[in-house]
Amino acid sequence: MIGILDYVWLVPLVPVVCFVLAGLFGKKTPQGGGYIAVAGAAIAFIIAALASIDYWTSDYWANNQAYTVDMTWMMVGTFEINFGVYIDSLSCIMMLFASFISTLIFIYSIGYMDDQGEKKTRYYAEVSLFLTGMLGLAVSSNYLEMFVFWEVMGLCSYLLIGFWSFTHPEGDEASFRASSAAKKAFLVTRLGDVCLMAGLFILMYMVGSLDYADIFDNAAILADKYGKLLPVAILLMFAGVVGKSAQFPLHDWLPDAMAGPTTVSALIHAATMVKAGIYLIARSFPLFVQCTDVMVIVAVIGGVTAIYTASMALNNMNIKRVLAYSTLSQLGYMVLALGSGAYMISLGLEGGEHAEELFLLGGAAFTAGVMHMVNHAFFKALLFLGSGSVIHAVGTEDMRHMGGLRHKMPITAYTMLIGCLSIAGIPIFSGFWSKDLVLEAAFAPYHHGFGDAGTIFLILFILGMITAFMTAFYMFRMWFMTFCGKERGHCHGESPYNMSVPLIILAVFATLSGLLMLAFKSFGTYGVLESLAVGFGFEFPFHTGGETIVQIFKEIPTYIALVLAIAGIGIAYKLYVATPYDEEAFKPENHGALYNFNAKRHYFPELYNWISWKFGAGIAGIVNAFDKHVIDGTVNGLSNSACGGGDGLSAIQTGYVRDYAGLVVVGVLAILAIFALIFLYGGGF
Amino acid sequence: MFESFAESLVEAFGQVTYILPQVIVLIAALLAPLLHFATKDGKIVAGASFAIIAISAILVMIMMHTVTYGTAFGMFEFDPFSSLMMLLFMAVAFLTIMVSPVHVETTKHAGEYYSLIAAIVAGMMFAASATTLLAIFIGVEVVSISSYALVALKKNDPRASEAAVKYLIIGAFSSALTLLGMSMIYGVTGTLNIETIGAKVAVMGANWAFILGCIGMIAGYGFKIAAVPFHSWAPDVYEGASTPVSGFLATASKKMGFAVLFKIFFALFVIGSTGVFTLEFQYVFAIIAAITMTVGNLVAISQSNIKRMLAYSSVAQAGYIMIALAVMSQYATTGALFHMFTHVVMKGGAFIMVAALITAGLGEKIEDYKGLAKRTPLLAAAMMLFLFSLAGIPPLAGFTSKFVLFSGAIFVDGAVSMQWMWLAFIAVINSAISLYYYARVVKTMYIEKPACDDKIVVPAPFMVAIALCVIGVIVLGVYPEILLELCDKAAAALF
Repeated sequence: MIGILDYVWLVPLVPVVCFVLAGLFGKKTPQGGGYIAVAGAAIAFIIAALASIDYWTSDYWANNQAYTVDMTWMMVGTFEINFGVYIDSLSCIMMLFASFISTLIFIYSIGYMDDQGEKKTRYYAEVSLFLTGMLGLAVSSNYLEMFVFWEVMGLCSYLLIGFWSFTHPEGDEASFRASSAAKKAFLVTRLGDVCLMAGLFILMYMVGSLDYADIFDNAAILADKYGKLLPVAILLMFAGVVGKSAQFPLHDWLPDAMAGPTTVSALIHAATMVKAGIYLIARSFPLFVQCTDVMVIVAVIGGVTAIYTASMALNNMNIKRVLAYSTLSQLGYMVLALGSGAYMISLGLEGGEHAEELFLLGGAAFTAGVMHMVNHAFFKALLFLGSGSVIHAVGTEDMRHMGGLRHKMPITAYTMLIGCLSIAGIPIFSGFWSKDLVLEAAFAPYHHGFGDAGTIFLILFILGMITAFMTAFYMFRMWFMTFCGKERGHCHGESPYNMSVPLIILAVFATLSGLLMLAFKSFGTYGVLESLAVGFGFEFPFHTGGETIVQIFKEIPTYIALVLAIAGIGIAYKLYVATPYDEEAFKPENHGALYNFNAKRHYFPELYNWISWKFGAGIAGIVNAFDKHVIDGTVNGLSNSACGGGDGLSAIQTGYVRDYAGLVVVGVLAILAIFALIFLYGGGF
Repeated sequence: MFESFAESLVEAFGQVTYILPQVIVLIAALLAPLLHFATKDGKIVAGASFAIIAISAILVMIMMHTVTYGTAFGMFEFDPFSSLMMLLFMAVAFLTIMVSPVHVETTKHAGEYYSLIAAIVAGMMFAASATTLLAIFIGVEVVSISSYALVALKKNDPRASEAAVKYLIIGAFSSALTLLGMSMIYGVTGTLNIETIGAKVAVMGANWAFILGCIGMIAGYGFKIAAVPFHSWAPDVYEGASTPVSGFLATASKKMGFAVLFKIFFALFVIGSTGVFTLEFQYVFAIIAAITMTVGNLVAISQSNIKRMLAYSSVAQAGYIMIALAVMSQYATTGALFHMFTHVVMKGGAFIMVAALITAGLGEKIEDYKGLAKRTPLLAAAMMLFLFSLAGIPPLAGFTSKFVLFSGAIFVDGAVSMQWMWLAFIAVINSAISLYYYARVVKTMYIEKPACDDKIVVPAPFMVAIALCVIGVIVLGVYPEILLELCDKAAAALF
């Protein structure tokens, strides 16, 4: 104990101070406040690191307790909403990787955003606030506090995705795209947020509090008492995850979010935003494990998202979009692992002879999900910053205009290669370990014959395997198209040091983070699972890191996945390096319907538009017309008000008064009718 | 120090102490025309009205601080509830008076203008503190009649005349209905004191005349708060009136309607515990609330004039606040009162912004706001904060107050209840819908290209008023306790 833990609230506070400082005084400092943002993120990381060490050496951790401090935020009558910190291993891991990667991204931004002039100030202020959102979310002690930061992030993503809305480097059309992408991201994730809020209201009804501690301690009681309501609440909360972490069918905002600067994409994909949804599942694990059936739905959504979005990456030509789809697909993996883990633990909670084994496998699956989240943060930040470096050098995002760049920009090329190897799941690299654990988690329910949903999980496992193959293929397709073959466009050469050094650091972590985490006792996810065990009288069993490694290499699926990954890389090599291709090959008319259907993102953008324009605006139009014609009762006056009411006065003297009088009668009669109806039905609905 | 001051006040004025704040504001109403006649300078009149109302506000705060509560002549009660509402009305008046002298639509008739504003504030204060139906009625009528004149004061605009006439006619209907309702209740119970009415009905049981009386009052004051289907005047009036007046009416006049509804219906159904028909009336309010918020939000989507859009958004906000009338609990009322305050800073701020931009030469159409962020980054950012706060995005004031208000549908007096969960859900869905039209304005400001690149300059008083509202939106969102406790006490005074 060195006492830093008591100051852990500084972690989200430092970036918000930087937000204010950069916003107010950024213009007067070099780099428009860039150094303020970097310093803020770095200080936040240092405090987070010290606090985490403090936690991991404290009695709290030894006793599997979370460290919590609360103060009253709002008090109404006897109901109290707190604002506080809740630190366990999960929150430590979240704040560590979020602040660390953000620091690197901010450093990188100084090089990348160098030519943005005065707009830099706005950028650095907003990314600082963005980081506050993520760090605040990680340390929150109750769901409402979490929701506040959750929305702060949504707001920042809106502002940042639309960053180039006035002046996109690529012209007006791109500028317009940026604006609609920002709005889409905001509104689509908001759809999830509404569900989350509704879920929280139900939770509040059931528990009478939104504090994590109160809810987790009572989770088992809730399941008994509210057998029908709890699944609804959990499904609604999961809908929030679907929006935020861009799961099927709300996935389509994320590829569009590429319209922002590449560093923002890196921030959204690696360190913040989409990880918030995964964190919500992991954080709510003690609650989620109470509903077996809902967890099957969670796993299915994850599995479907993984393969569905991976398929869209197969023939995309935009380097950032390929990465965006790969994020979606990897998020699907995480949700799949967490869903499967929760499913197994929920079966274990029912007791029976397999209980202990189920807890072991469920815990491993949980670990797999969290570990993949961290590993993904490293390799995806690396890949995005690498792609930013490429875009910076060649001035386009279209991979058809790249090629052969590895000679011109070797650091970018080989660090990105490490990222690709990691995401493809090649041994030693971090992605291998966690991806393997994820697939194993999906396989386990079928393999060991747990529960009724075994077949479903077998299918999910096969889908996961195919996804692994696709991932290896499209990632190396991207790498080969960009860095191999003949040069097709102009290139400025390697990026400056403040961009390449973060790449190198991230490459180191993308290689080693998996092994590092395995070396750490129980992957630091003890606290969450521990609160499940309240009243069970036994500790949660865990494989140690060493046992896990041995386990991984004992399982046959590991080798299948490896073969599939290598096959994917091989096919990509065959198609894009061994056989030279020309740009003609990419024209839509040279391809079949399936290829174009895929390239059009399965018409999801059109579907969204149809829903929002035809359906949403249609309803609004109908209500508006109803309001004007029926409620207002002023059919005659319509043209008058439209023309600005030049002869409005005369209209009042002729038509309006009668109409208004009618309106009063209608209103009173309506109230009377409502009253009578309620009265007749005995006051009940 | 304050204690002895309050004591000497009570000694000197006796019962009048408890209506002293209203009387002081009335003095402002009387002085304004005189001052204008003497000085011919609108700014001096504004300054004097501001100062006098400020004295009244300080007095209210001192009396609240020293717990100098009491009743004057058995008609007006100075209690935590009425004092809090008085502060709200005066806060709105401050914002309005601050920006009016520099606003371009302001009339030459400064004397009348500030006199009317002060009269409205006094009327509202009387209505909020009244304990008998008659006193409530008179207070509301003072407000109404002054408001018609205030709207019509923008004389050279035909839209304003049209709006004023509409407002007058609608107002007359609503007054007639209210009076009809009140007389029926008087006929049944033989008293005008609302608490006695409650007690009497509890003994003798409710009959259909009583119910009709209640419905008459719901309809009558439904006009004041612009609940659907009694809302049709609001967009026209807000669009037609000069913008500071629209803001004043949207934020203060509506709150008076709620204050009165709370007073009457909580007294009848909760304290008096009529016992009969309480649930039925709760559902009536709940259904009106649900319809009001839904219609307000959906219609706001298709507006192209920002004042009309804000007007419909006010309709929706009235729907949210009505949740308290449906739930009839202290918790929900706390939320409603808190939401009224946050609504002052966010909706008031938005209207002041519109007024400022009109002064700077911009139009009222949403498309006129294209590229505002480029022309005036600070004002655009402030407007974004107001709109996002209205949409309920944390950590802004609108989120916090909506959360307390909506959760009031679940926590009914210390216990959780499933009864009004559906209402909370409808409210949550509605506040998500509302983001759509607010975000559209933000998008217009931040994303679309401006018609010209000229910088926008607005007079300093506007900047001050907007800055105050921005501070309110942030502080009330992050640290709600500073007001929540007062709201809690005020709500407790109603039950």
